Amino acid sequence: MSDRKVTGDRNFIDRAGYEKSLRRLGEIFKGITRHAKEQALQRCPYKDRHDCCTAKFACAYKRVASVAADLPNCVSDDQLDYRTAWETDEGDVQAMKGKLLSASAQAGNVECNGRLCVLRVGKTIFDHADELRVKVPTSCGRVGTCHECIVQIRKGDEALGARSDAEAFLQGGYRLACQAVVEQGSQEIAFDLLRREPKILVSQQSRAVEVDPMVHRQGDKVYYGSEELGRYRGHLYGVALDVGTTTVVLELVDLETGQSVHVESFENPQRFGGSDIMTRISYDGGEHKGELHTAIVNTFNTVVREICAELEVSRHEIYEILVVGNTTMRDLFFGLDVQSIGQKPYRSHVEEDHLRGVRKSTGLRESARQLKLMANRNAVVCGVPLIGSHVGGDIVAGLVAIDMVSRREPVMLVDVGTNTEVVLGYAGRLMAASCPAGPAFEGGLVRFGMPGCAGAVESVRYRDGKFCCETIGEGEPEGICGSGFIDLLAELRRANLMTPKGVFLNKAVEVQVVQERGITLSRQDVSELAQAKAANFCGQAILMRKFGVSPDEISQMFLSGGFVNYVEVSSAVEIGFLAPVNEDRVIKVGNAAAQGAREMLLSRKKRAEITELISRVEHVELETTEDFFEMFVEGCQFKPMNCQSLW
Amino acid sequence: MAELADLKNKFLREELGEYVEEDAERQRMVDLYAETKLSMQNIAAAIIDGRHHDVDRLTREAIDDDVQALEVMDDGLIAGMALVGIKFRDNFIFVPEVLACARAMKAGMAHIEPILSASGIDPIGTVIMGTVKGDLHDIGKNLCIMMLRGSGFKVVDLGVDTSPDDFLEAVEEHGASLVGMSALLTTTMPNMGRTIEAFIDADLRDDVKVMVGGAPVTPEFADDMGADAYGADAVECVEIAKRLTEESASAH
Repeated sequence: MSDRKVTGDRNFIDRAGYEKSLRRLGEIFKGITRHAKEQALQRCPYKDRHDCCTAKFACAYKRVASVAADLPNCVSDDQLDYRTAWETDEGDVQAMKGKLLSASAQAGNVECNGRLCVLRVGKTIFDHADELRVKVPTSCGRVGTCHECIVQIRKGDEALGARSDAEAFLQGGYRLACQAVVEQGSQEIAFDLLRREPKILVSQQSRAVEVDPMVHRQGDKVYYGSEELGRYRGHLYGVALDVGTTTVVLELVDLETGQSVHVESFENPQRFGGSDIMTRISYDGGEHKGELHTAIVNTFNTVVREICAELEVSRHEIYEILVVGNTTMRDLFFGLDVQSIGQKPYRSHVEEDHLRGVRKSTGLRESARQLKLMANRNAVVCGVPLIGSHVGGDIVAGLVAIDMVSRREPVMLVDVGTNTEVVLGYAGRLMAASCPAGPAFEGGLVRFGMPGCAGAVESVRYRDGKFCCETIGEGEPEGICGSGFIDLLAELRRANLMTPKGVFLNKAVEVQVVQERGITLSRQDVSELAQAKAANFCGQAILMRKFGVSPDEISQMFLSGGFVNYVEVSSAVEIGFLAPVNEDRVIKVGNAAAQGAREMLLSRKKRAEITELISRVEHVELETTEDFFEMFVEGCQFKPMNCQSLW
Repeated sequence: MAELADLKNKFLREELGEYVEEDAERQRMVDLYAETKLSMQNIAAAIIDGRHHDVDRLTREAIDDDVQALEVMDDGLIAGMALVGIKFRDNFIFVPEVLACARAMKAGMAHIEPILSASGIDPIGTVIMGTVKGDLHDIGKNLCIMMLRGSGFKVVDLGVDTSPDDFLEAVEEHGASLVGMSALLTTTMPNMGRTIEAFIDADLRDDVKVMVGGAPVTPEFADDMGADAYGADAVECVEIAKRLTEESASAH
């Protein structure tokens, strides 16, 4: 096709050739038109490949999807004439909806979030959720072990089969979506996803930071360092983004005044790919690679769009997005492959490249345009460098927040989560370790475990022969969250109802925690919690020993992340979850990463200082420690950390 | 014979591997793309993916690089639409996706049009298209527009809920000789007649030919309201548009 004759001017179209092209195009379009006509007999032409409705007019089959979705869903099963559902008048639509509902009621239907589909006998609630395109979180492959797919059956409980063994821990209208099978047709079933409103400390004391950001203005031009980004439109904004595995915190900062303009905290939308880092990595290695990246980018854009609309800020005035997060979360945000982080030696490609000398730093830089982020198209997206392995930019930001560069006496930062990170030292000497604790304290693996949201027992006291529990929210307790477990284990020890090795009094199989609700703690649960606790224990103990300090010599212990902000420190020390640092030297810093991110966004000095500092951090691999196994076994015992016997 | 792996554009490789199921057809498509430059494959890929901004940019860049306009049309835009047609035929995509691809194609054609006119090739005619007042249904009209543009017409799309005045203004502004109206509701169908009356009132009825279409419209109804022609689908729409354009050209 490249031997076409060129006549006349450098670009000329000869009529015969053009007419031939049009004939070819006409044939293609004719085929399309014919097929469109045929298809219109069976399928509404406004329904796209995702079964979303693209029509501008009202329709009885139209259901508004989630806030994040661009288009409403179409719930037609294409068996009734869709045209009867088209109306331009909203009142007619409501009347029509009623008619259609009663027609489809004979077949039975399933409803969630206002979406409707036909009920199918023999299928699980999860299958119906798929059909409704409702994302239900799971990380066990729908076999009933991860307990993430809990749904509340609002209507039609009787149409479902009996609870399976895996659901034994649930009661009332709660079921596991992967286990609950529809057994009767001609019914209406309605279900809700469990409301997950994690209790997160967002507010924190904002220290005053000298305002000297990378983004600055000269005349009517905006620069990043010495690089021109675009024209000045009246404001300079930056976004500090802390991408946590569970929770994301987004802060919009005015880079000229240093004021925080807006803080928003939301659940990490990647939950459907599992609740912990390792499950997310394996999810991203499967057939749905890229979905996690898309999910977080889309949610980011939705949130920024909402904030911009609410505050009447133009997205073009956002010139920098500074991203902190553990190694996996940060790299997923940047759309990088994360598979190598999931296997020994647990290093990201970025870190490998850095170690081989291919990269100067483990920091990342892209433009908002490349990542398709809502901001000025030239805005710089900056990924904060990592310390090593799983110890990522979120910990670096944490070190900024606790002002590690000015520390002259040893301090310890413990960031508790499914992966607990520990940093110990002072400005001259620093060590870091990552401890894979697993999800036992976060709601996984333990029968009545749940995240710290409404319905979770968050604190426990043993009085007069029974447990007194405090529950988050106003409802009845449904399970126990991390701080509740730590209290429970400590109280069991204090009352001598359990040995340090986790054996209950009289070798009982389980203890009743909330008798009325049937909430118990079993021997097996205790074993899971013991192992998770041991990982936290090892991180702190091995670092202290290697550094050569005792808990007494630690001037301050900072706790950040997840449930630890709600933990009773004395309980955590009692069972050896935390090092026995005197309680008045323990400081809960809430979300240190978000605070550090904001400070880095505002201050070039802080960025330079911390980058220099982390290049000197010694990353300690716990597993390669000679007596790791002995330490771990010791850590599995529920008793205060005995430092003398350990080193 | 070229191999799938020979295609430099990854997206095209994936699309052909995933959506063209019949071996001979896939081979035909592979051969079609394999003969083309990477820059043309990129345009075809952007068409298939319905990315109109990318088609706009890539086509402009190709023209700036002195790639022949007809090559851009054949190897980029039309080659892309060929796979869109196959995906649609086999129900991998539906009408809304096809229309997104057509919009992308239009973005590319915008850079071809100046060259067409510099080469002395003018549009067959200018058509004003819209769904009548009170009606928000646009798929049939959009398919007609796709067909008309693909046949060499210049089309001014007034969208949905178009008032008689909007039609009048557009005809005057663009000097169009042809108006196409669509309606999908029995309640809005009479607005076609009202629009035609507005043309009579404005003394413009003799300057334009009017064609109508839409599910409830019949040839009888079209005749009653005083339209010049009725089309049952987008293919007929093009045939009628060509006939009416010739008629009005010979009349003047």
